Amino acid sequence: MVGKKEELVYVDKHGKRLDGRKVDEVRPIKIEVGVLNRAEGSCYMEWGQNKILAAVYGPREALPKHIQNPYKALVNYSYRMASFSVPERKNPKPARREIEISKVCGEALEKAIFLERFPNTTIDVFVEIFDSNAGTRVAALSAASVALVDAGIPMKDMVCACGVGKAGGHIITDLNKEEEDADDAVDIPLAILPKTGEIVLLQMDGLMSKEEWKKCLEMGVKGCMQVYELQKEALKKKYSQIESTAQNNEARTEMVSDEKNSEGEFT
Amino acid sequence: MEKKLVIPGELVSEERKRLGGHVFIENGKIYSDALGIVADEAQAVSVIPLQGRYMPCRGDVVVGIVAQEKFAGFIIDINSFYFSFVSKKEIRESLKVGSIVSAKIFEVNEINEAELGDIRLFTGGEIVSVSPVKVPRVIGKNGSMLDVLKNGTNCNIIVGRNGRIWIKGGNIELFLKAIKKIEDEAHLSNLTNKMTAFMEENKTAAV
Repeated sequence: MVGKKEELVYVDKHGKRLDGRKVDEVRPIKIEVGVLNRAEGSCYMEWGQNKILAAVYGPREALPKHIQNPYKALVNYSYRMASFSVPERKNPKPARREIEISKVCGEALEKAIFLERFPNTTIDVFVEIFDSNAGTRVAALSAASVALVDAGIPMKDMVCACGVGKAGGHIITDLNKEEEDADDAVDIPLAILPKTGEIVLLQMDGLMSKEEWKKCLEMGVKGCMQVYELQKEALKKKYSQIESTAQNNEARTEMVSDEKNSEGEFT
Repeated sequence: MEKKLVIPGELVSEERKRLGGHVFIENGKIYSDALGIVADEAQAVSVIPLQGRYMPCRGDVVVGIVAQEKFAGFIIDINSFYFSFVSKKEIRESLKVGSIVSAKIFEVNEINEAELGDIRLFTGGEIVSVSPVKVPRVIGKNGSMLDVLKNGTNCNIIVGRNGRIWIKGGNIELFLKAIKKIEDEAHLSNLTNKMTAFMEENKTAAV
């Protein structure tokens, strides 16, 4: 005998979700750029409960030589989940799921990079998930895109990604684990190039009607644009910060010189 | 005029202009392909990148390290995608693995392999690495920044376009500090004057 499961209300009458978000609201995102010294570009991202570190190496010579392509660079994207990132220990060996995500996300990034400028090379992107709570592949892809910009790799556009889906009959943006575990859950990771709106990653599991799908796509693109704004802000912040500290230093040296002058007058 | 910071895919200009570095054109509008500062001039528009690696270019002077000796020549690491090969016939000095040399790039082919010439051997000294995109700021307009550095530290300085700087003698500690400051503030204007002040300050501090 199994007791009846308590029915979860995924969107209440005020339009609030389980964690208090609105239907079209993404979880709070924190992006830090250039956190690793040894990598050419890096990014640390906290997306709700997800914690992700992305690092970019290259473009560097592709080895072994037979994988080289003399017309363009290769993108070697590697998505890995730490064994402690899920409630029960995950075998650290790359599983079917991780290999698949590495492939589709790498292909999404290929669309944004000027690959033909770096023949015979690879661009290595390593993404490690430290904590996961649904929607890690979109978070990882967004973080990887920021790391690529930090590495100075020429790109046509950023890649911004966001999850969208259905839980309890409601269409919602950026599902968390609780919502993803709903009986009728549909999860759609979506990645776009914000300038043209070109879709570079789209997957789906579950069932939904044509109308629901149209609404999903519209909300997903809106979510992606929210992520794009945050990525842009994080990248620009790195340089405005240095600017302000430099100005502070300048002010300080001015003060010091003033003091010196005043001392000179006393003596 | 305030400098405009752009990220890849961001609009740089809607006018038709000659394209400089790190911009591309799509549907008649000009977009940036890197994180950098816009240099919008009357005729041309370009983006000065803030990050990136060295792309060999014909005519560049680079600082290289001998990585390997072969029967007929040497393999030299120039901080690019590949190592370059130089024949022993073209070199008068005797090189060893680990020697520091300066070289001029004579030719770059379509897969970015560089052919070197004008090899000069450096004896002693050490190498400092900076980001290759910041090398123009280390040199300055007509070498103005380099003069400031040379006068301030009394070092012998050779700056390679590939982001390697060879220095010998003088106040190396001060030089390292100065390079760090230039790297940190490479995207700000009026840097040479700032560095002159910085050198003055440190000189008096040392005395």
